[in-house]
This record gives sequence, C-alpha cells and structure tokens, in this order.
Amino acid sequence: MNMIEMKDIRKEYPLGETVVHALRGIDLSVQEGGFISIIGPSGSGKTTLLNIIGCIDTPTEGSVKIGGEDITSLDDKKLTNIRLFKVGFIFQTFNLIPVLNLLENVEFPLLLMKEHKLSKTDIRERAEKAIEEVGLKDFLDHRPAELSGGQRQRVAIARALVTNPQIVLADEPTANLDSETGAAILELMKHLNETEKTTFIFSTHDPDVLKYASQVVKIRDGHIESTGKPGRSLKTGKTRSKAHVGKAGSTGKRRR
Amino acid sequence: MALIARIAWRNIQRHRGKSLVIGIILFLGALIMTIGNGVVSGMERGLRDGIINRFTGQIVVISGRQEQDNVIFTPLGKDVQVITGYEKIKHALETSGYVDKFIPVGKGLTLVLNENGDVGYSLVLGVNFEEYQKMFMNNVKLVEGAFLNKDDRGILITSGNRKRFYDELDFWFMPEGVKLNDKNLTDEALKYKDRLDVKNDIVLMGSSMENTTMDLRLKVKGIVKYEYLDDYWKNFNIIDIESFREAFQYVTASDAAVNIPSYQRKLLETDNLDSLFEDNVVTKAGAGNKKYEIAELIGKRAARKKPGIDSGAYNIIFVKLKKGGSIEKSLRKLNDAFKAAGAEARAVPWGNAVGQLADLAMIMRGATIGFVMLIFFVAVIIIMNTLSMAALERVSEIGMMRAVGAQKSFISGMFFAETAVISSVFGGAGIIAGGICISILNLLHITTDNNILELLFGGNVLRPTLGFFDIMIGVIELAVVTVIAAAYPLTVARRITPLDAVTRD
Ligand SMILES: Nc1ncnc2c1ncn2[C@@H]1O[C@H](COP(=O)(O)OP(=O)(O)O)[C@@H](O)[C@H]1O
Ligand SMILES: [Mg+2]
Repeated sequence: MNMIEMKDIRKEYPLGETVVHALRGIDLSVQEGGFISIIGPSGSGKTTLLNIIGCIDTPTEGSVKIGGEDITSLDDKKLTNIRLFKVGFIFQTFNLIPVLNLLENVEFPLLLMKEHKLSKTDIRERAEKAIEEVGLKDFLDHRPAELSGGQRQRVAIARALVTNPQIVLADEPTANLDSETGAAILELMKHLNETEKTTFIFSTHDPDVLKYASQVVKIRDGHIESTGKPGRSLKTGKTRSKAHVGKAGSTGKRRR
Repeated sequence: MALIARIAWRNIQRHRGKSLVIGIILFLGALIMTIGNGVVSGMERGLRDGIINRFTGQIVVISGRQEQDNVIFTPLGKDVQVITGYEKIKHALETSGYVDKFIPVGKGLTLVLNENGDVGYSLVLGVNFEEYQKMFMNNVKLVEGAFLNKDDRGILITSGNRKRFYDELDFWFMPEGVKLNDKNLTDEALKYKDRLDVKNDIVLMGSSMENTTMDLRLKVKGIVKYEYLDDYWKNFNIIDIESFREAFQYVTASDAAVNIPSYQRKLLETDNLDSLFEDNVVTKAGAGNKKYEIAELIGKRAARKKPGIDSGAYNIIFVKLKKGGSIEKSLRKLNDAFKAAGAEARAVPWGNAVGQLADLAMIMRGATIGFVMLIFFVAVIIIMNTLSMAALERVSEIGMMRAVGAQKSFISGMFFAETAVISSVFGGAGIIAGGICISILNLLHITTDNNILELLFGGNVLRPTLGFFDIMIGVIELAVVTVIAAAYPLTVARRITPLDAVTRD
C-alpha cells in the first residue's frame, strides 16, 4: 500500500508583488516501511515538501493522501489529529518543551491523545520503551537544557516514535549536529526503521548521509529531478516531477 | 487537565521575573480593590444604619396621595401630602407584630419673616420631641439653651440654620436668657458681636401651596446639632407638632373647637405682627389689639380646609422594625394592612424616602469600582503586553506543540492556566492582604469630625467591613481582569502555527 500519495503538488508563496514557486508540480508515492531521503540544495523545496506531507502546511494545488486518507481539504482540528496520530516529527533544532524533563517530553504526545484514553502506566511504559530504544534510559528526569544536541535529537526521535506513527518526518535532522553525532542519529533512525517498520522520510543537503537511505528523491527548484537508490545514478525527471519510491531494496520505478 | 497545569506551573517558575511583575500588579490591584470595597461597604452600612437608626427607621409611611416617595429632601421643599386617617394607620402599626416603634411627624417648608421684609425659609420637622429623641437615639444634641419639654411650644434651631439665617437675614437667634458664647459664633458674627441683632423668637409661615397658611411666632428654645450627618440634616429645625399643625393649618373645625384655649393662648402670645408684615401676609394672625375673633378665623380656616384632615394630622410616619425584621416583607404586610383598614397610606422603604442620600453609597461604590477599574486597566495593559511578549518568545515551542498534535484549545488552555494561576495566587494574596488591612483599620479606630469624611466613613469612625458579598465582587473583578488581560495574548498564541516550529534556511 502507498503510505503517501501526492499528485501534482504545487506550493506558491506570495512575496510582495511576486510569487515564489516553492513546489512546481510534485507527484510522489511512498510505500510503507521505506527510509527515504529527500536531497536537494538549499531553497529547492525540501522543507516545503515535508511540511505538506506532515500536514503542517497545505499545498496551493494538488492532492495528498496519507494512509489512504485525503488530507487536502481538512480543517485545522482534523489536520492536528493526523499530526498527532499518524505522523512523527523530528526537527532540525530538536524542539523539545524546555520545562518538561526527558520522560515528560516523550510522554507529551501520548498525553494529548485524549481519545485513546491511555492509562498512566501505559503511557509511562510506552515512553520508557521509546527512550530505551534511543538509549537514554539513564536521563529520564533531565531537562532538555541538561542534554547535548545529539541526546536532544534522540529524545525528539523517541517522541516521534512513541505514538507508533505511520510516517516519521525529519527535516535535516543532523544539520545542527557534528558529523559523528549526525551519523549516529541516522544509524538509530535506520535501525528503528528496520525494527519498527516505520516509514521514515528525511531531508538533507549532505550527500554523505545518502548511504543510509533506501531511496533517494532529488529535488531542485521545486521539481523532482530524479529518484533512485543511493549510489546509482539517479533517474532524471523531464516534464513533471514524478517519483515512486518504496521499501529498502525496491527500485524507483514507474517513471513516465 | 494535569498536563496543562504542570506545564503552566513550570512556565511560571521558569519565567519568574515576568510572573512576578504580573503577580505584583495583580496583588496591588486586588489589595486596593479589596480595601476600597471594604471601605465603601462600611460606608454603605454605616450610612444605612445611621439613617435608619437616627432619622427614618426602616420604613416610612406617607399619604397614599403622595406622588413621590422622596419626601425628606423634596425638590424645592415641595409639600408632602397630609396623611389622612391616622388612627387607622396607627392601629395597623400597633397591631402588626413586627413594628418596634414609630413616630408620626409633620414636615414642611416655612417662610421665615423679618422686619426688613426679607423672606428666608426653613425646613421644619414638627414632632413630639421627647418621643423623637427616644426613637432616634438622642440624635439631637444641644448646643445652647434647652430642649423642648413635654407640652412646650417653641423651636429648636440647628446651628447650621442659625448661621444661614444670619447670613441671609442678619438675625442671630439665641434662646432666651442665654448669653452669647464666642465659641458658638461664626467668624462673621464674632466680628460684629457688639452690633449683633439677637432674636429670641422666630416668625414662621407655613408655605403650603394648597392650604392657607398662618404666621406663627415661636420662642427659640434651644440651638441644636444632629449628632450624625448634621451636614445633611441641619436644614431641619424642630418645632413641636402643635405649632407645626397651626403653621400648616392641619386642623378641622371640630378640632379647633376643642383646642380653642390653646389657640387663644397661642394667639394671645403673638405680638403685633401686623406692624411687621403689613399687607404681604396671606392670613394675618391678628391685629395689634390681641382681641380678634378667633371663632371667625377658625371658621374661615375650616371652610378652606381639605376634607378629612383630622386632629392627628401628620404627613410622615417613621417606622422602626423589630430586630431581624425584613424590610421587604414588612412593607408588603403593612401596605396590605393599610388597604384592609381602608387607610389612604403607603409604606415605602427608607431609601426611597431619603432619595439621593441613600444613593450616595451607590455613587461611592461606583466611584470605587471606577477607580479600581482604572488601576486594573493599567494592570491589564501591562499584563497583556508581558504575556504577548511571552507568547512571541515561545513561538517555536508552541509551534512544535502544535506540530506534534496539540490543538489550539490546548495552547489557549496552557496560556490561560498560566495567567489564572498567577492571578489566583497573587490576586488571592491581595484579597487576603486587603482583608487584613481592613481588620487593622478597624482596630485603629480612626475617627473624624470632618463632614465629608464622616460621610465616607458612614459615621464618625472608619469601620470598613468585608462581607462575603464584597469578597465575591473582588473575586469576580479579578477574574474579569484576568480574562481580559489574557484574551489578546491568547489569540496571539493561538495564531502560532506548526509551521512556526520549522526553521528555514
Ligand atoms: N513562508 C515563505 N514565504 C515565502 N517564500 C518561502 C516561504 N517558505 C519557503 N519559501 C521559499 O520557497 C522555496 C523553498 O523553500 P524550502 O522549502 O524551505 O527549501 P529547502 O528546505 O529546500 O531549503 C525557497 O525559495 C524559499 O525561499
Ligand atoms: Mg529546509
């Protein structure tokens, strides 16, 4: 099943008198369980694309389906619920709640899930398990300010995964980390992708990072330039940017 | 929700400086508000108790024909209708079971005449003075001379009126046989002490519009002062009820027939008024020979009388209820009883009868609320500003919460909880501190002779009170301030989108 289906996505930002075309017609399908990297130079539209997938932003044109549900015309409340239940976010700047400790930060999205009526112990258990998976068991009561950048990003990963989302989105998750720590974070994400079967989509402008990806979507100027496996020469798009990427090992096929 | 409370509480601690600024403002606001409300409540109660105990009682009975309930300070001293069928009313009051005491009085505006032809005026209360003093806690204090004893005819002039008469008519009224006391003279009077035109009696003329009236010479028995609210009540000179009835012609033929001896006595005491007033007097009290025809005069009056005005003629009855009696219930019962007895009378609450004086407390409360609102307005602006800044400082944090799945309502809740906690902690402390201040103010027993302060204090002593009602008002005011102050920052915070959590290069 296609986890994500995007059809002819366009995004325009008004900028004074002119209009910025951030995305100029993106067709993208992502299968369940992939570890997909979106790569492109700064300003190419990576963040915009991830925001639209993550229901943080809405496209000017085109349709987006997540897990089969069309999200293009949902209201703020419903979009928020999709973000809560179906999507996990990892930000470039980690973005934790400063007044909550590590455990509470990871519990946060679970506590927002009023309609799931999770018990306190359930929440605690799930949060502790997620924290254990990112290797921070010993820091449960630390506040974000007491943690290093890498540790914070691990907390963010635990928070993104604790809700068992269908997709985890990470916009340049390693940009603010040194390369060693960045590599460790990606190793962790890759590991979780394999063990939890969660679909990961992350953006980067660092070609070094590509080796972790099962699929690479290369974008430039709001177009998908090519899709494919890392290491190989990426196929190039012609008129409209189209891509279909899938599980680790599957090919970036169905290009027209 | 526990999560919101936890985050709010920790944010308060984290942004201690801001929380403290907002907190202190709210504390001061609540403190001033509480003290203000307490003082006004004390004033309100003091005024109410003072007026009820010392001037009107809880209920005032007036004629059923009286249009305005406001009978004490009637505009332009307009006449108050005569109560007819006093016997029936008296019976209803005596048998009611909830009335403690009552006193019927006559109230009216008289002209004050002098040789120069200048005309002054005076409000008078015609009362049985001994009963009046008993009913109203000896509120009338003697300055010079003596009080009116039983069966005495005469007038008690207030020192306020004496001063006014001096200013307007150039008389200085003194009780007979009393020496001038420098202490009691006004500055002006003291200056011309040697040339002071001292008078021991006063000539009044009932200025009724409807009845014929009569001039009346009365001995000045005493100069008095009201112990409470003299500034307001000093306009009322007190005369015996008999003289009042004569001045206002509250008599019928039969009545007069019985009373001829007293009339005669009265009229015979009257000096040569003719020479004083010449032709400008409606009814001349008598010719200089003191031998005019009383019967003829009475006959004339009787013919002009409105029907039904009887010997027990009064126009106001002040009624005090037994302890704990409800004014409202008693009013209803009294009015029913009057109706059943066929008495043409109406019982009204004291506040209606004294009109603007009762409103004074309301005005003061309004002013206090206005002042408190002004303080809170400033507070609201500062709090609004501080909170909006706080919202803007936390844009990426709030955006992240939204991105992770927090609804707008969660963000509002979090912001509101922060403000509400600060407001209830500091504002609550302010209210408690205000309560303590009020207790201290009570203990200090601050007294005053100043008329304006006396009014503010609701008596001679500052006795602020803080009842449940005042505290509730305080809490409500605080809540309103909190909501208003938080409203704008809340919309700022709600407008933060998940996109704000995303860094762009
Ligand atoms: N809010 C915005 N207003 C105007 N232009 C924007 C806005 N967000 C992004 N853009 C523009 O859209 C294009 C794509 O931006 P973005 O998606 O952030 O690229 P990337 O993440 O690849 O650097 C850029 O030209 C950027 O300037
Ligand atoms: Mg970007």
